[in-house]
Amino acid sequence: MITETENPGTRPAGHETGGFRRLPVLTRETWLLLFTTVIFAAFSVGYNITFLSAANFSAILRNLAFEGMLAVGMMLLIVGGMFDLSVGAMASLAGVVTGWLMKYAGVPVPLAILGGLAVAAAGGLLNGFVVARVRVNPLITTLGTMGIFQGVALLIGGPGITFLPASFTRVGQAELLGLQMPVWLLLALAVAAHYALAHTRFFRKYYFIGSNEKAARLSGINVERMQMLGFTLAGVTAGLAGIVYSSRIATASATVGVGAELQAITAVILGGGSLAGGRGTIRGAMIGVFFMALMKNVLIISRVSSEWQGIVLGGVLVAAVALDSVMTRRRG
Amino acid sequence: MPLLAADNIQKSFPGVQVLGGVSFDVRAGEVHAFVGENGAGKSTLMNILAGVHQPDAGTISFNGRGAVMLADEHAAQQLGIAIVFQERSLFPTLSVAENIFAARQPAGRFGRIDRARMFAEARALLDRLGLGAVSPATPLSELSPAGQQMVEIAKALSLDAKLMIFDEPTAALTPAETSALFRVILGLRADGVGVIYISHRLEEIFCIADRVTVLRDGKLQGTLSVAATGTDDLVRRMVGREVALHQRRVDRVADANPALLEVRGLSDAGALHHARPFLRDISFSVRAGEILVCAGLAGAGRTELALSLFGLRPRAAGEILIDGRPVRINSPADAIRAGLGYASEDRKELGLFLDRTIAENIAVAKLDQFGSWWLDDRRGERVAEEFRLKLRIVCRGPRQTVQTLSGGNQQKVALAKWLLADPRVLIVDEPTRGIDVGAKAEVHQLLFDLARQGKAVIVISSDFPEALALADRIIVMREGRVSGELDGPGATEERIMRLASVGAEPWLP
Repeated sequence: MITETENPGTRPAGHETGGFRRLPVLTRETWLLLFTTVIFAAFSVGYNITFLSAANFSAILRNLAFEGMLAVGMMLLIVGGMFDLSVGAMASLAGVVTGWLMKYAGVPVPLAILGGLAVAAAGGLLNGFVVARVRVNPLITTLGTMGIFQGVALLIGGPGITFLPASFTRVGQAELLGLQMPVWLLLALAVAAHYALAHTRFFRKYYFIGSNEKAARLSGINVERMQMLGFTLAGVTAGLAGIVYSSRIATASATVGVGAELQAITAVILGGGSLAGGRGTIRGAMIGVFFMALMKNVLIISRVSSEWQGIVLGGVLVAAVALDSVMTRRRG
Repeated sequence: MPLLAADNIQKSFPGVQVLGGVSFDVRAGEVHAFVGENGAGKSTLMNILAGVHQPDAGTISFNGRGAVMLADEHAAQQLGIAIVFQERSLFPTLSVAENIFAARQPAGRFGRIDRARMFAEARALLDRLGLGAVSPATPLSELSPAGQQMVEIAKALSLDAKLMIFDEPTAALTPAETSALFRVILGLRADGVGVIYISHRLEEIFCIADRVTVLRDGKLQGTLSVAATGTDDLVRRMVGREVALHQRRVDRVADANPALLEVRGLSDAGALHHARPFLRDISFSVRAGEILVCAGLAGAGRTELALSLFGLRPRAAGEILIDGRPVRINSPADAIRAGLGYASEDRKELGLFLDRTIAENIAVAKLDQFGSWWLDDRRGERVAEEFRLKLRIVCRGPRQTVQTLSGGNQQKVALAKWLLADPRVLIVDEPTRGIDVGAKAEVHQLLFDLARQGKAVIVISSDFPEALALADRIIVMREGRVSGELDGPGATEERIMRLASVGAEPWLP
C-alpha cells in the first residue's frame, strides 16, 4: 500500500508525478542521511584522532539516548497529526518520582521504576484525554501540562535526588560491546517502534488519522482512542527516557528534560515528519537525533563556542524544511 | 475584436500534457460555456486565465492588449478577470462582508476600514443576488453551503470585472438560487461583461449560454453556437463515444424481499453548532436488492440523516433495525460493524486521504483483510489493481497518491473503499456530483450491480434525472422530514420537485 515498504511516511506530496527523465526525488530523510554521512566522513578524515576514537563515538551515542527516546514517542504523535510539549517535563517527573520512591519511600528498585512509568503513563493519558475527549488543541493542552509536570517534578525532586541505589545505577551504567545500556535500550525501542509504525495494521491507523482525521473517523477508525493511546505511549517513552537517564548519572534531577521536547521535535521534523501529520518514520526520527548529536559533537571538536549550537541547528532545521518545500513545489 | 482571445495554449504537468494547444475567444456581452469530462483540462485552462498557472506556450490577448502576462492571481484581477472557484476560498470565522471584500475593504484615512461603507456595498451585492435575508454581519460559518457559494459569487461580482469565470457555480445551489444566479449572469451579459460558464449540467448551458466550447483530453473539440447544437451532439463530442444517459431501471426484483434496514421515528439532538434538532420523526425502510433514492433540495437534511445513521450525529429518538433487529450505532465503527457503509458527498474532506496512495485509500475501512497484525502492503496493491481494472480508474498504479487524480477517478477510489468493505447497506451521498458524464454512467452501473448482488443501496441525490434513473423507490426530504415517498416507475421530476419544495422556507439559517 506504500511505495517503499520500508518507508511509508516520508513520501512527499506529488512524488509520483515526477517524469521519468528527472533526477530521483529524495525525501528529507534521505537527504539528511546523506548529509550526515558527508559530515561524518569529513570529520573522520580531518580530525581522525579525536573524532574517530571509540571514546568520542561512545560519547555521541550516550548523549543521544535521552532525546532519542523522546523522539520515538514524538514521531508517533506527529505522524498522527498531534504533538506534545510536555515530554521533557514528563521525563524529569518520571525520573524524580522513581528516585524519590527508591530513596525516600523504601520501595524496591523494580517497583520504583514501574511507579515512575505509571506516573508517566497517567500524565500521557491525561494529555490524551484532554485533547481527544475534551477537544482542546494539543499545543495548549501540553503547554499547560508541561508547566504542571515541571512544577510537580520540582516539588518532589527539588535540587535533585542524588546517590541513588547501586542496583539502580548499575543498569544505566552497564556496558555491552563498548556501548552503554541506554544506547542499547534506545536501539531496541526504536527498531520495535519503527516496524510497528511502518508495518502493523494497528499503528498504520496513525498515518490515516494524521492525513485526514475526519475521513479516518468515517472509515471506522476509533480516532479518540488512538489519540489517547498515542499520548500515553509518548508519556511512557518520555518516562523511560527520564528514568534511564537518572540511572546513568545516578541522580534524579527535576530539570533534565528542560527544552528536550523542542530538541525532539526538531529531530523528528529533520527526519521527515510534518506538523500537518500523516508523514514520517521512526527511522527518520533516529537519523534526525543522530544528526543533531553529531553536529553538537563536531562543533565541540572544532572548538566552536557552544552559543553556535542553537544557531547552526536552527539554521539546518529551517533549511531542510525549506528545501523540501521548494522541491515539492518544483514538481508541481 | 473579442474581449479575450487565447491562442494555442499549452500546459503540461510533470508526466502529463493537460492542454494541447487550445484556442478560443470570448466576446464582450456573451456567455461562453465550457464543457468536457473531468480531466479534459477545463479547470487548468481557467486557472491559466485567473493567473494561478502559467501556460507553457501560447498567447492571451485581453481587452485590446496583445500578449498579456497573467503572472499571478493579482495580475489577472488587475486586468479585470474574476473567477468564482469551484472549491470555496472563504474565511468561515469572518463576516459575510469581510469575506466579500477580503483585503480590499473600503478604507478611509490611514487605511482604517470604513465599516459602514463596506456593509452598505455588501448589502447591495447580496440584494443583487436575491439574498435579501442575509445580513452582511453574519459570520460566514452560519450560512449553509449554498449560502457560502453565493457569497463566493458576490465576492467575484464585487471586483467589477470585465471577464467573469464561473466554475461549476450551481453544484451546491437550489433551483431558486440557481435562477437568481442566472438572472445575475444575464444582467452581466447585458452590461457587456464577458462570461465563461463551466458546468456539468448541460441543461443549464442550453438555458443561458450563447456559445459552447467542448474540450476532451486537453484538446479542442469545437466551439459551437448553442442554438445550433443539442445534448446528444455535445455529449458525443465530450466523451467521444455514445453514452446511455439516464437509462431507467427495468429489472425490479426486490419488491418481495423483507426490509434489510429499517429506520423508525428518528430525530436528532442537533449537532455541535446547530443546537436545535433538525431531523424530525424520520421513518423509512430499504430492502435487500433495492435502490432507494433520498431526494430533496440542498439543505433538506439528507446528509444529516446519513451522518446520524452512521453514528456521527447524535440521535435523540428513534430506532435503527437491521434484519428486523434493533442495532446500537454510536460511532462510524459501530455502523460499519452493523453492516453499513457511507460514501460521503465531500470526498476531499470526509472521504479520502489525499496524500496517501490509492491502495491505502481503498484498504482503510477493511485493514483486517490485509493481515491481523503485520500489514501486507503488496496484497493491498494487488487488490487496488483489481479495482483499477474493474472501475476503470485512470492512474499510473496503486502507489500513486490520490491527490493527483481527477475528480471522477477520486470518486471511484472513494467508492472502491466501500466496495472492498462490502457493507450490506451502502449509503452513497451525491455519488456523481462534479464528475463527468462517462464516469457518471459507470458509477450508476456500479450501483445497479450492488443491488443485483442483494445489497441495500441508499442514494442521496439532488439530480432529479439521476434519481429517476436509479430508483426502485424514492423518499423525498424537506426541512428535516420525509415529505413523501414515490414508487420509482411512477415518479416524475415534477412530483419530486413538488414534494421537495412546496412550502419550503428559504435556505437561510
